[in-house]
Amino acid sequence: MPTMTFTIRRFVEAKSFSRDYSFEYMAGNTVLDGLIFIKEKLDPSLAFTASCRNGVCGACALRVNGQAVLACETAIESLAARYHSARLTIAPLGNFTVLRDLVVDWQPKLDRMKQVKPWLIPQDAFSADTGCRQSQTDFDKIRGYTDCILCGACVSECSKLAADSADFLEPFAFVKAQKYVADSRDDAPLKHLDPAIQAGLWRCMHCEECTAKCPKSLDPAEDIAKLRVMAFKKAMVNSAGAQHAQAFYEDINDIGRLNEAKLAIRTDGIMKSLTRVGLAYRLMKVDKLDPFHLPEPIKNISKVQKILKAAKEADKS
Amino acid sequence: MKKVSRRTFLKWGVAAGAVAVAAPYVMMNKNNMFTSTLTEMAGAPALFDVLVIGSGGSGMRAALEAGRQKDLKVALMTKLVPTRSATCMAQGGINGALRHADARDSIEKHAFDTVKGSDYLGDQDAIRFFAEKAPEALRELDYYGVAFDRMQDGRMAQRNLGGHTYARSAYSADQSGLVILHTLFEQCLKNNVNMLMEWQLLELVVEDGKLCGVVAMNMHSGKILPVMARTVVVATGGYGRLYWVRTTNPFSSTGDGIGACLKVGIPVKDPEMVQFHPTGLAGSGVLLSEAARGEGGYLVNKDGERFMRRYAPDKMELGPRDLVSQAIETEIREGRGVGEGLHAAVYLDLRHLGKKKIMQKLPQLRQLALNYEGVDAITQPIPIRGTCHYSMGGIDVVDYKTCATAIPGVFAVGECSCLSVHGANRLGGNSLAEVVVFGKYAGNGAAAYARNNAFDGNQTALDRAADEWEQRFAAVSSRSSGSTVPSIRDRMAATMWQNVGIFRSRTRLEQAVRNIDELLEEYRSCVVRDTTRIYNTAFMNYVELGNMLPLARMVAMAALARQESRGSHFREDYPRRNDQKFLQHTIVTRKGAEYSLTYRPVAITDYQAEERKY
Repeated sequence: MPTMTFTIRRFVEAKSFSRDYSFEYMAGNTVLDGLIFIKEKLDPSLAFTASCRNGVCGACALRVNGQAVLACETAIESLAARYHSARLTIAPLGNFTVLRDLVVDWQPKLDRMKQVKPWLIPQDAFSADTGCRQSQTDFDKIRGYTDCILCGACVSECSKLAADSADFLEPFAFVKAQKYVADSRDDAPLKHLDPAIQAGLWRCMHCEECTAKCPKSLDPAEDIAKLRVMAFKKAMVNSAGAQHAQAFYEDINDIGRLNEAKLAIRTDGIMKSLTRVGLAYRLMKVDKLDPFHLPEPIKNISKVQKILKAAKEADKS
Repeated sequence: MKKVSRRTFLKWGVAAGAVAVAAPYVMMNKNNMFTSTLTEMAGAPALFDVLVIGSGGSGMRAALEAGRQKDLKVALMTKLVPTRSATCMAQGGINGALRHADARDSIEKHAFDTVKGSDYLGDQDAIRFFAEKAPEALRELDYYGVAFDRMQDGRMAQRNLGGHTYARSAYSADQSGLVILHTLFEQCLKNNVNMLMEWQLLELVVEDGKLCGVVAMNMHSGKILPVMARTVVVATGGYGRLYWVRTTNPFSSTGDGIGACLKVGIPVKDPEMVQFHPTGLAGSGVLLSEAARGEGGYLVNKDGERFMRRYAPDKMELGPRDLVSQAIETEIREGRGVGEGLHAAVYLDLRHLGKKKIMQKLPQLRQLALNYEGVDAITQPIPIRGTCHYSMGGIDVVDYKTCATAIPGVFAVGECSCLSVHGANRLGGNSLAEVVVFGKYAGNGAAAYARNNAFDGNQTALDRAADEWEQRFAAVSSRSSGSTVPSIRDRMAATMWQNVGIFRSRTRLEQAVRNIDELLEEYRSCVVRDTTRIYNTAFMNYVELGNMLPLARMVAMAALARQESRGSHFREDYPRRNDQKFLQHTIVTRKGAEYSLTYRPVAITDYQAEERKY
């Protein structure tokens, strides 16, 4: 039988350290099987959480070689093949406070999620006595969102949370918001959308790590995009993010390329842009910005405009 | 003066900005739902009006019901992050005679199917109440936002599950439990239910018949704390982990609440009634939903024969779970299975359903077979066999309308309880219905009790119990020689599977009782080997095993005493049902190391026991 070594990032009562554990494994053994073997045979002090052990409860998400996975459904064999290695680094999820070893603190995350009102705000026509009505077509629009198991994999590698989590919610919270914005039974998309905007909707960096890491194949990045589209539809365009997107659109429509000097002013307005003079100066110094360059429309601008028009039409229907 | 670098200056700027931005969030969360430090900060222990223990469907539903009454102080304590409980694993559906899919259905039919399914051991008054309340509980879930599959006219769709006369199970693809649990959780968030998250229950404290509260360990801090409560709703789930790896249950289903109730003298009812689900994956025991058979899947033996025609010619694969499990085991015993010994199995064949139907109706099930068995259900039959699935028995509830137990102020609901709605065998889709129906009534029952009764528990007794756990933690965690917790647990599971499994007999059950008595003795000097406080899961596993062992003893003891075969309980030496002697509930009480067993008649209101044929 092949041997595997887990290098586990440990954290026990304020002490951080790494420890190696080696064991033999068989085809079909998962990362969770490995952790259980280590705890029961090698080191009972290793702490991790796991519950359903078949990928529906979300308790065992962790990082293997820096990538978030569910330990219970990730085969050791396939990891060994992918990394061409008999050694894997096991660490707790990123962007969480670690309580101990591989156990992270969910309390603040779930508290924060409440901001988007992640619950159905039912229409007046419905009641607890009569239930709701929904067509199968409308049900199909929300069915994917119910796959979220709150495992936290989308949080772990989120670039925006890593940079600053104070003004941006965990990706799963945006999935919850979109779930109810998209639910035909819900009466109040704005009640989910407005707080989603307050909670950083326009600050997503588009790295798509959340989508890449989701073990249930959800697409938080796409849901953030859908919420942004809804924000435009609801004319919630008075934020820097929305105006930034609008400026992009107008530049492409007018000249087929970006006018970066104009972009900042359009996004933030003249007053706020003035506070960025220092940054502009530094960019100019390294030839990244030329305020006197007024880009000409590209050669086939009429074709670009046609494409944009067609896309708009398609979106309406 | 040290020069401040530009980078440092920027860092300070960012930090100051972060504080400024975060401040409103912190303010906003002043009414924090997660008050894990609540009882530590206040100096004196907090007194809860309603303390719910367990965050599955029944616990959340109870906490929601009580928590809505804003003048009461309610908390939900759970050893897990709330959405990790067993409810999220329920796949098939949730029953209620809504009459959407079939107008012939009725409350009476649902009640009768449940009584018959229980092999007449279910209490008919409780079952009638259950069937009556189920439709409204389902409509309520719809209103809370559960994403149910739909009929043409937009009402909830319903599918057929084993043992039911009509299609009466509302569902959400094959993840009904997950969707219901998360929706209930959202409703708890909406209603600001306090959650004591990742607290391990250690003990229910009752002195002179009066409830004082509980002692629990906050895993985040490692502190052992007394928590005063006017009422406690025990909703800690089943005890499938007595069979450890031969179960569909999550690691957390260790019967903690039942163990705590036993210790204060609350009896356990019908513990021998353990359901074995017919379709667990052969290798891991992981559950494949009954929806597979509901959608038309076949069970075939190694000769390709649909063998259910010999056991339940009318219902075929949709016969009740106990019959199907026993049929599979018989096929294997008589040499018509595949594989050897523990790896023996028969097949669940879905191929004739076609790729489209499998992908649309059973996507999760197909994925499970791919992940854990390496088999694609679209092109290959899936090797399956019985696996421990559900505990019909549990904490003896004496009033099903409030879920009250024998001790005033202590309530029990969900799989840890025995109302008894499922009797000797639970039907598919009835467990999700039970947790939402009775979760609500338990929440109400506890709230009403808390309103009408002053706290007369003894705080000194509570503090003393906490001190004793403190000493026990110190003694056990530092012990250096003795058997390990996993080694005792594995031997318990092996003896349960071999001797208290699908087929039982006097000699095997006597062997099981002897083995478990030995393990109970061994447990007294076992080792944990982790002396740290914060999130000490080795100690947690020790506590869980301490709850499982007495329970295992009771399951074996009750199975030995029940000299008949009924529902899930099959005695090879008494293969027939014996209504004259055993149309009765087993009641087992523990006093220290003494276990005593009595019987109580079944409540029969509408239907006389008759032979159960499908």
